[in-house]
Amino acid sequence: MTEYLTVEKLFNENGKNLQLEIINSKIGFERKINVPKVDRPGLELTGFWKYFKKERMPIFGIKEKTYLDTLSLERIEIIFEKFFQEGIPCAIFAHKIKLPDIVAELANKYKITLFETQMLTSDLIHFLLDYLRWQLAPRLNVHGTLVDVYGVGLLITGRSGIGKSEIALDLIERGHRLISDDSVRIIKRSDNVLIGAGHELLGHHLEIRGIGIINIAKMYGVRGIRKRKRIEVQVELDDWKSGGKYERVGSKEVYKNILGVPVPNIQLPIFPGKNITVICETIALNQMLKTFGNNSAQEFEKMLELQIQQKLKLKKINNYLETDFE
Amino acid sequence: MIKEEITIKNKHGIHTRPATVIVETASNFESEIFLTYNGEKSNAKSIMGILILAVEPGATVELETSGSDEKEAMKQMLHIIKNNFFME
Repeated sequence: MTEYLTVEKLFNENGKNLQLEIINSKIGFERKINVPKVDRPGLELTGFWKYFKKERMPIFGIKEKTYLDTLSLERIEIIFEKFFQEGIPCAIFAHKIKLPDIVAELANKYKITLFETQMLTSDLIHFLLDYLRWQLAPRLNVHGTLVDVYGVGLLITGRSGIGKSEIALDLIERGHRLISDDSVRIIKRSDNVLIGAGHELLGHHLEIRGIGIINIAKMYGVRGIRKRKRIEVQVELDDWKSGGKYERVGSKEVYKNILGVPVPNIQLPIFPGKNITVICETIALNQMLKTFGNNSAQEFEKMLELQIQQKLKLKKINNYLETDFE
Repeated sequence: MIKEEITIKNKHGIHTRPATVIVETASNFESEIFLTYNGEKSNAKSIMGILILAVEPGATVELETSGSDEKEAMKQMLHIIKNNFFME
């Protein structure tokens, strides 16, 4: 689980697309970024430090630069000394704004890397926040298999040896795409979106009992694989128990929380001879229908209610007519 | 739930054969067994899960067992790791 990000990683992964250039040196590369937030340090420059958060990297734009230009060199020194003393992870100067040399010297003293970029401040913040949110998002490793079935992300879970990988293989054979088998990394993208991804080392390998490890990417080509997929339904495989309670109508949707996000959950009992692959396809199609606003079970229920009510009405009329002796 | 830390001492770390021994041992128990290394937590009954941890020799991993037979499971798991998976 990633709980922090080093300045080095931020630079290595974004140096190019954010056009970052190092002003002073790599001296502060091991500093950690813990929060997916940035700071526009307007008020701090004026001397208001009450709400200053040292974990957030400050981003200086033209606004800050214009204000700094009105200050004396001594004042600028005092301000930046305070910034660096607090221990910010790093600082970025957008628009390639030029600052007095003393700022870089101070940064070296406190071992903090300063970056400059040609990007506009708001664009920079937008990209940076997106990256930080992704990197620092809550994540979890789940023992399960993630397959994209008709564009619906099915997370198949169940005890070891129940046949998750075999179902995945069958689904791939039918033209669906594997994201990851056996171990799925789940990343909370936003309050209601979970993204599932594979592991770099694991790639698109499958373990099939009796055969061993096979490479899906090579066997089925790019058609059979996918890097990431939003998780839309969890299918929990379970050994069939004769007294077990399984959903028969399905008009009520069951959700289970993963990282605090409710995910539609289907308990699927399995036994020999049951074609789980086709059922998985049906689950995916049914989920698609639900997303488009059609719930087969609920619609059926409504139709049934209507029928019963009509019968009741008819009965009333018949009763009335039968007792109607004028 | 029991948690224990242990150092992997065999020559090549947890490659496919030790991983097989781990999975086979873990699968004998009812309890849930997890192996954590470098902040990645994997189910010890899943071969791929164990392999992707790519544990090198000398690394310290955390074992976690929870369930009806957690004590016995922990004992067995520690036993196979201490004995270098009965390979060397």
